[in-house]
Amino acid sequence: MDIVSLSKKSIAKLENAKEIESLDKSYIDLLGKNGEINLLLRSLGKLPKDERKEQGKSLNQLKNKLENIFQLKKESLIEKKYLKGLAEESIDVTLPGRQNRIGTLHPVTSTINEISNFFKSFGFDVQSGPEAETDYYNFEALNIPKDHPAKDMHDTFYLDNGVLLRTHTSPVQVRTMEKQAPPLRIICPGKVYRKDSDLTHTPMFHQIEGLVVEKDANFSSLKGLLNDFIKDFFGEEMDLRFRPSYFPFTEPSAEVDIRWKKGWLEILGCGMVHPKVLEMSGIDSKKFFGFAFGLGIERLAVLKYDIPDLRLFFENDLRFLKQFP
Amino acid sequence: MQISRNWLEEFVEIKFSDDELCNQLTMLGLEVEGFSKFKSKITGTDTVIKLDLTPNRGDCFSVLGVAREVAALNNLKLRLPEIRKIKISAESPIEVKVSDEAPIYSGRYISGLNLKDKVPPLIQERLKRSNFKSIDPIVDITNYVLLELGQPLHAFDSKKLNGNLNVRFAKEKEQIELLDESSIKLSKDCLVISDETKAVALAGIMGGADSGISQATSSVYLESAFFKPEYIRGRARRFSLQTEASTRFERGVDFKLQRFAIERASSLIFDFLGGEFAPVQEFKKNSSIPKDKKIKLNVDNINRSLGSSFKTSSVKKVLENLGMKIDLSKTNQKIIKANIPSWRFDLSIQEDLTEEVARLKGYNNIEETSLKPSFSKGKDPLNYSLRESFKTMGFNEVITYSFIDKEEALITEKEENLVFIQNPISQNMTTLRPSLLPGLLNTLFYNCNRGYEDLAIFELGSVFQKQKNNKISQKEVIGALITGLNNRNYWSNTKEPINFYDLKGNLEQILRGSSNYDFIKTDLPFMHPGKTSLILKDDKEIGYLGAVNPKNLEQLNIKQEVILFEVLADGLPKKITSNFKRFSRFPVASRDLSFIVSNDISNNEVIKLIESKCGKNIKKINLFDIYEGDRIPKNKRSLTYTLSWQSKTKTLTDIEIDKIVENIVLFLSKKIDAKLRS
Repeated sequence: MDIVSLSKKSIAKLENAKEIESLDKSYIDLLGKNGEINLLLRSLGKLPKDERKEQGKSLNQLKNKLENIFQLKKESLIEKKYLKGLAEESIDVTLPGRQNRIGTLHPVTSTINEISNFFKSFGFDVQSGPEAETDYYNFEALNIPKDHPAKDMHDTFYLDNGVLLRTHTSPVQVRTMEKQAPPLRIICPGKVYRKDSDLTHTPMFHQIEGLVVEKDANFSSLKGLLNDFIKDFFGEEMDLRFRPSYFPFTEPSAEVDIRWKKGWLEILGCGMVHPKVLEMSGIDSKKFFGFAFGLGIERLAVLKYDIPDLRLFFENDLRFLKQFP
Repeated sequence: MQISRNWLEEFVEIKFSDDELCNQLTMLGLEVEGFSKFKSKITGTDTVIKLDLTPNRGDCFSVLGVAREVAALNNLKLRLPEIRKIKISAESPIEVKVSDEAPIYSGRYISGLNLKDKVPPLIQERLKRSNFKSIDPIVDITNYVLLELGQPLHAFDSKKLNGNLNVRFAKEKEQIELLDESSIKLSKDCLVISDETKAVALAGIMGGADSGISQATSSVYLESAFFKPEYIRGRARRFSLQTEASTRFERGVDFKLQRFAIERASSLIFDFLGGEFAPVQEFKKNSSIPKDKKIKLNVDNINRSLGSSFKTSSVKKVLENLGMKIDLSKTNQKIIKANIPSWRFDLSIQEDLTEEVARLKGYNNIEETSLKPSFSKGKDPLNYSLRESFKTMGFNEVITYSFIDKEEALITEKEENLVFIQNPISQNMTTLRPSLLPGLLNTLFYNCNRGYEDLAIFELGSVFQKQKNNKISQKEVIGALITGLNNRNYWSNTKEPINFYDLKGNLEQILRGSSNYDFIKTDLPFMHPGKTSLILKDDKEIGYLGAVNPKNLEQLNIKQEVILFEVLADGLPKKITSNFKRFSRFPVASRDLSFIVSNDISNNEVIKLIESKCGKNIKKINLFDIYEGDRIPKNKRSLTYTLSWQSKTKTLTDIEIDKIVENIVLFLSKKIDAKLRS
């Protein structure tokens, strides 16, 4: 028996198998119970002792070798089949992916939130109040008596029974001071209404009012706070100035301008709370000082997002809204 | 107010540039809106300065007032115009009776005038630069003095007056025809100048037409009066008659200026028109003339309020520059008494002087300090987190006007419950919205017209209703609207129209599986009768959800189904951080049950019946299939539920579960004739 040629032939038979099934069949043919190798082993008894020993050894070696080859071959065929299966599941990776609808917040909401977050970090609480407001809270409690020329600055919408649409968010200050004892730090964002409509005015817009009532609140810290705020909001150092102005509910009063393009642009009003306003709300103006500030949201959003026309805010054109994810 | 630099320089010597001058004025609180250089034959190179004055600074509505500020800031001397000595050659035929409201009235009779003459070019030029029309020489001169000194003057044609003058309140509905040819009906709180027959001027606002001067006028009676601001305020606005005079009187005119102003006007008349002059008459009610004000201030308080460290001497200097006489306290050198000039109606308390000190020192020279940080309670009254949730679910936030068309408001609310605006800005903005629906539908309409067919929008805002007691209720409501196709532009999915359950699903995500909420079928006139549900929280109505009644869409030319809800924002769960809840480690036992029930029995009813019989270990009842069709009887449907049980303490046995299921099946059969489908 020629072991060498048997070995060659058997190895080739296993190695050449293309499918798992044909490999299994070749295995049975060679190494099965009645396979070629086993038959040969069984027939060894007929040989002389020396030859038998030598042949037996060679056959067993071959048997082990074939087992190994079979195992490796089988693994490789399984792997191949698996890969083929995966290849059949192949997709076009260039097709567009499935997206959820993209939601957006109105730029006014985002701006309010951004501003609120800055002031929250200084311990301000967010407060809200009614939009249909009484003359008392909108004017009188803020030191704006009936017929005062300062009322000309507020073109008011009137409802029935002396109720009006608030012209600023300042009434929330008064309502808060009436309910809560100082020290106080609040901001009051919300809608306000003035009878005014053109490129730079809409009859409804949004304001944030801020109020601090503390023993050592002063104009210097008001300036510091607003300077920090403007830096935070615009993300860079801004050139700004405080100049004297007039609000019946603050004394001293100031307007804050930032340098914008070629000139100065007014962006907020502020001042030390008028002692009459503190007293009317039940706060001892000898013990506590207050400062307040108010700013228009749309005005700031216009600057930040470079929006050309205020009316865009309330047209709700999706081509506008979807730009503010 | 607009004045020229040349005129200002008559009162104060200005050696700096226009830029510097205007910057100074703005930083003093007299905001310069703009300025422009011009060349004039009369004044040479000049600049016109437009000021936007705040209502507290009535004293600055004049060249004199502005000059005073410039002088105070720069330590300059103020020059007043010269008054001519005029020979008296006439006698006044008129006496004036003053009142508490008009305690000072200076008058002067001048005769022998020829009003065909013109005032000289300088006066014409300056008036023109201040936007005043040249009318006749007397009016031009009174306007000139008004601009120059801030004292409004009036000239009557004395021949048209009947007897003496009297300042009094108007009678109810008293008529007066004014110089601008308007005729108005007065009320009792309007102050008038009256002769012995009728009102001849609306005090401090405008003269009457009948006694006005004309080219034929040869004698005039000049008026330079002080009217108290509170008796002028509001009247001009009421009649839409804001005039140069009323602007100044309602803000306060220097009560020591009347005689000087009438003499200044006389000087100009004398120089340019000649005439015979009677003496200046001064009628006064001394007890009603404003008292000279004194304000006591403590320099420490000023520094405390400003966060500054000004010395007493420098505070004193600033106030003196502003025309105040200062008395120092003998005992405390920090305490000052300031005598307030008669032109400063805006100064009455220490804080007012704090502003004066800060203003003159320069707001920008007050050092900035940082506010000490503190802790915020993190309240969210504007429901920011709710808005974020809708954004996350793919909705675009909109903000629509709170005032809408009345017809639109009537879609959802009865007229008697609507709140109207008395002075709307336009006819389609007359009514406060009682609902967010009109605004959402308008937004849909607007965007549909611009090619957007698929919309998912929401709005959070106030809605308003008139209550039975006539009070206005305002509630924060969130409304959302969706319409169009799911996945319209996507290559793979089936493109199904959005329906009721899409939006209901969004809302349920917000409710976070809370069992406090219920949906029950309802009928609202503006909604689809078969596809609308009330939303209940603890059995209280908090909103509705459904398809908009196609009738309301037809008007907007919208043909696709529109799903919408409105819910009280307060009714929705707030974002809360709850503690960890232990979950069971024992296995879950599940059974699928299909019931054939009549069509008119809702899923909710079935679930409630099942719930009542499934014991304490029930974990979830999930509807996973609905079948209607040939394989079951007509008018019936099959509802298939997966019921899952889990105990916290043991493994549940099949025997236990089977017994429960048997009970459920029996109960449903008895209650709603439900058949188990095999």
